[in-house]
Formats: sequence, C-alpha cells, structure tokens
Amino acid sequence: MRWSVLGWRLASFAVAAGVIALWQFAADHRWISPVFLPGPDRAWASLMRGFTSGDLLAKLVGTLTHMAYGWLLASIAGIALGAMIGSSKTMRLYVAPTLELLRPLPVSAIIPVAIAALGLSQGMALAVIAFGSLWPLLLGTIHGFAAVEPRLYEVARVLHMPRLAVIFKIALPSAAPDILAGMRLSLTVALILAVVCEMLAGLDGLGQWVLLSARAFRSADLFAGVMLLGVIGYVTALAMSAAESRLLRWQAARR
Amino acid sequence: MAEPALALVQASPPPARAQIAFDNVALTLGGKAIIDTISLEVSAGEILCVVGASGCGKTTALRLAAGLYQPTGGSVRFEGEPMRAPRREIAVVFQDYGKALLPWRTAAGNISLALETIGMPAAQREARITELLAKVGLAGHAAKYPTEMSGGMQQRLQIARCLAQDPKVLLMDEPFGALDAMTRQGLQDEMLALVAATGATVVFVTHDLEEAIYLGDRVVGLLPHPGRVGLELTVDLPRPRDQLATREHPEFLRLRRALFDFIKASE
Ligand SMILES: Nc1ncnc2c1ncn2[C@@H]1O[C@H](COP(=O)(O)OP(=O)(O)OP(=O)(O)O)[C@@H](O)[C@H]1O
Ligand SMILES: [Mg+2]
Repeated sequence: MRWSVLGWRLASFAVAAGVIALWQFAADHRWISPVFLPGPDRAWASLMRGFTSGDLLAKLVGTLTHMAYGWLLASIAGIALGAMIGSSKTMRLYVAPTLELLRPLPVSAIIPVAIAALGLSQGMALAVIAFGSLWPLLLGTIHGFAAVEPRLYEVARVLHMPRLAVIFKIALPSAAPDILAGMRLSLTVALILAVVCEMLAGLDGLGQWVLLSARAFRSADLFAGVMLLGVIGYVTALAMSAAESRLLRWQAARR
Repeated sequence: MAEPALALVQASPPPARAQIAFDNVALTLGGKAIIDTISLEVSAGEILCVVGASGCGKTTALRLAAGLYQPTGGSVRFEGEPMRAPRREIAVVFQDYGKALLPWRTAAGNISLALETIGMPAAQREARITELLAKVGLAGHAAKYPTEMSGGMQQRLQIARCLAQDPKVLLMDEPFGALDAMTRQGLQDEMLALVAATGATVVFVTHDLEEAIYLGDRVVGLLPHPGRVGLELTVDLPRPRDQLATREHPEFLRLRRALFDFIKASE
C-alpha cells in the first residue's frame, strides 16, 4: 500500500519533469518563437527577478488577498444561507426554483452588471468573486443540511438539546463533508474570478501582471505569472484537502 | 342515593401508581387511524413487552409514550402529568442504532453528547463515560468510531448513551431485531442485569414472541388496523431468568403457545 503510493508520487513527478524537459527542448529548438514561448530557464529567471525586485511578490499578495476575501465572504454567506434554507423544508420549496434559475447563470455575465453598479473598484472584485464562489458552497451546504439523519434530531429532542447545540453538535458536523466539498470547489472559482477581475479592472494582482506582460510581449514575465497562478491553485487545493481530511477523520474509519 | 357518591369516586384522578398511563389514546396520521384506542398502565420498575404483527402500531405506540407524537384522542401521562414533549427521564433506544449514533463522534463522544446536554461538568464526564462503557461491556473501545464497531457493539453504545441520561424509563423499539441469535441472547441478559441494577421501567417492543416472554413481567399483544390492545398476559416466571431453564419452563411454553395463537389469529 505505502509502496504503491510512493510509486505513484514518483511517476507523477517524472511526468512533470518530462513536460518541463520537453518545454525546454521546444524552446531551445525554437519550435515556437521565443517571443511567445520562453524556455523554463528564462521563465524561472524572470520569476526570481520579479521576487527580488518585490514587484511580483506584491502582485501575488494582491491576488491572494482578492481571492481570500471573496472566498471568505462566500463561505460565511453560503454556510449561513445554506443552513437556513437546508434545514427547513418550506424554505427549500420556496427558494429552490430561484436557485435553479440563478445557478446556471455564468458569472461572467454578471461582471458587466457589477462594473456598472460598483465601477472598476475593489468592491466590484469582491462582489464578483464572492457571488461566483457562493454557488458551489451554497448548494453543498443546503444539501448537507437537508440530508441530516432525522433520527438524530429525535435523539436531540429526547435529550432536550437546546437549539444552538442541535445546530453545532448535530446539523453542522453532519453537513460538514458537503460544506467542505463546496468550499474546495469555491476556492478554484475564487482564483479564476480574482484573475479575471484584476485583468478587467486593472487591480493590483497577477491577473493584471499577466495581461500587461502579454501586451508588452514579455513572454518570460507572462510565464512567470502563469506559473505562480498554478502554484496558488495547487497549494490552496492541497491545504484544503489537508483541512478536510483532518476535520473528517471519522470518515476514514468508514473505509 | 348512593349513585352521586360513586360518580365522584370515578371522577377522581387515577392512582399515581402508574408511571406511564395510556388513557383511551387514539392517533390519526394523515387522515388514517393508526391507533384506536389503547388504554394501558405501566408501573414503575416493570418490564412490559409489546408484540404484534408488522404494521400494527407498536412503534407508533412507543413514540406516543416517548412524547415524540401527541395523541389525537385521549391522553398519555407520565407520573400523572400529561406528556406534552419528550422528557429526559424517558430514554429511547432506537432499532436503527446505525442512524441514532453520531458517526463523527467516538464511542466516548457519543456518550458525552448526553452528558453535555444534561449539563455535567467537563471534569466529571470522563470518569462517567468510562463507567458507562464498562457497564455495557465496551471498556477499552472508547476511542472507536461507531463505523468501526459491530452491530451488537453499536447497540450497546446506544444503550450506554441512554443510561447516561439517568432515565427512569427505557423505551426500546426492537433493539436487538437486527442482531444474530447469539449476540441477541447475550444482550437480553445484559439488559436484564442492567435494568435490575437501576430499577428502571422498560417498555420493550419486539417481533420475537419468545424474547417478549423471556424479558417481560407482562406482555401486551396489539391488534392491527387500527392498533389496539388484543391480549394482556402476566409472565409468572422466576427471576433471574436463564436462557435454558426459563425457556424450558412449562409456563414459558404455555405463554408461548398463547401468544403464537394470538398473532396467528390477528393476521
Ligand atoms: N407518519 C405516518 N403517517 C402515516 N401512516 C403512518 C405513519 N407512521 C406509521 N404509519 C402507519 O401506521 C401503521 C403502524 O406503523 P408502526 O410503524 O407503528 O408499526 P409497527 O407495529 O412498528 O410495525 P413493524 O413491526 O413493521 O415495525 C402502519 O400501517 C404504518 O404504515
Ligand atoms: Mg416498528
């Protein structure tokens, strides 16, 4: 078991190394013009330069901040709303059609609306990111709260558990797997929307950096930015998985 | 001339001796009469077993006794007071133990839920949990999650959590129904010993006629459509009961025959 896990790790590293080698090879042999495709060596150098000058670091922090605020806002709103809607059957009946109508709406469609209402501002970015990443969270939370075993509510009634205790000791932990799955999906959406908003509104962040680099044909800088975005996506997803497996240790016992 | 005096005597409240009293209880759910009518008294410390064909209203009657349903006719009383809601003195052991336990809490955590709710200080909980786990034969399994336990162990855990409430009454709905014969007999004896030690009243619903006689001081048979009492038997068998001797006792065999005929006729 352990050995096969290690084997897969090694294999996936080998694939990544292979891709980078191919990339270097392609760049060295100028399959694609260096104006568009810098080698990994040049992209790496640009990354280092960006960090030492402090520019890139500021952009990185900018993107992380946009993403984090939007995601946190979505999490708070999504869990609170989802808990309210999910734990009441009548609420679900009233709200479900509206949700079904709003859910398939591409978030990109509301960006012009947000710009018209809030201008090219941080507030607009926050609104767009929060709104876009709200959906997976909201739907996950509603499902989680709706699926709480009714028998457990009866156990609570027999014990005379206070309302708050029922929410925090029974409903919330029972819905936790669905909520966390929603939070993981939202995280990806938040990153995508943070980049889009930075590009559109010229906010300080990697989106803006990538866009400006592309316009100025600084392909090495462009690739450095894209690589950083990939790292953000990877690291946040990893952190989320770690948090999930820690919070849901009890589910491991099930397998 | 003696008539008014007699009427007065009849109107006075029933004797407080009965811990749980069903007084002409009827229940209609979704326009369908599920129970019509049950009058029954359970006295403190008694073990009352309830049998009846599937769908005759055993679970419903138990839920009425728990205060999880309100009767649409008549009244259910606990120690003379009408039952308006579930009470902590009345613990319920559900048949589906897998659903009644919190899968995200360990065995200790599940018992702790009851202790937290009755307001026991955190410092005292651990000792009480250890004691309760030992009582139901789960010593050393405190850190296990329910999904890591067998069905019999999970049902023991549920019983331990009910005991944590310090109940005066245990309402049990086919608690051993999903277990194999060996586990079931073991749990029957453990339950009898626990109940004898705590003096709790037990209302025990079961499909198994022999189990009803083996455990009970009294057995009530329900008739279906709508649910009502069709038979009441007093079990005059010596205690402590013994899996071999009791089941071979002539009185046991006689009662078994009577119950068997009743169920057959009611179907
Ligand atoms: N909430 C409900 N609404 C309508 N009918 C119900 C409801 N709950 C139970 N019933 C009906 O009431 C009758 C009695 O149900 P109950 O569950 O009490 O039977 P039971 O004796 O416990 O059966 P079993 O031995 O199968 O557990 C059944 O016919 C059932 O379909
Ligand atoms: Mg039943």
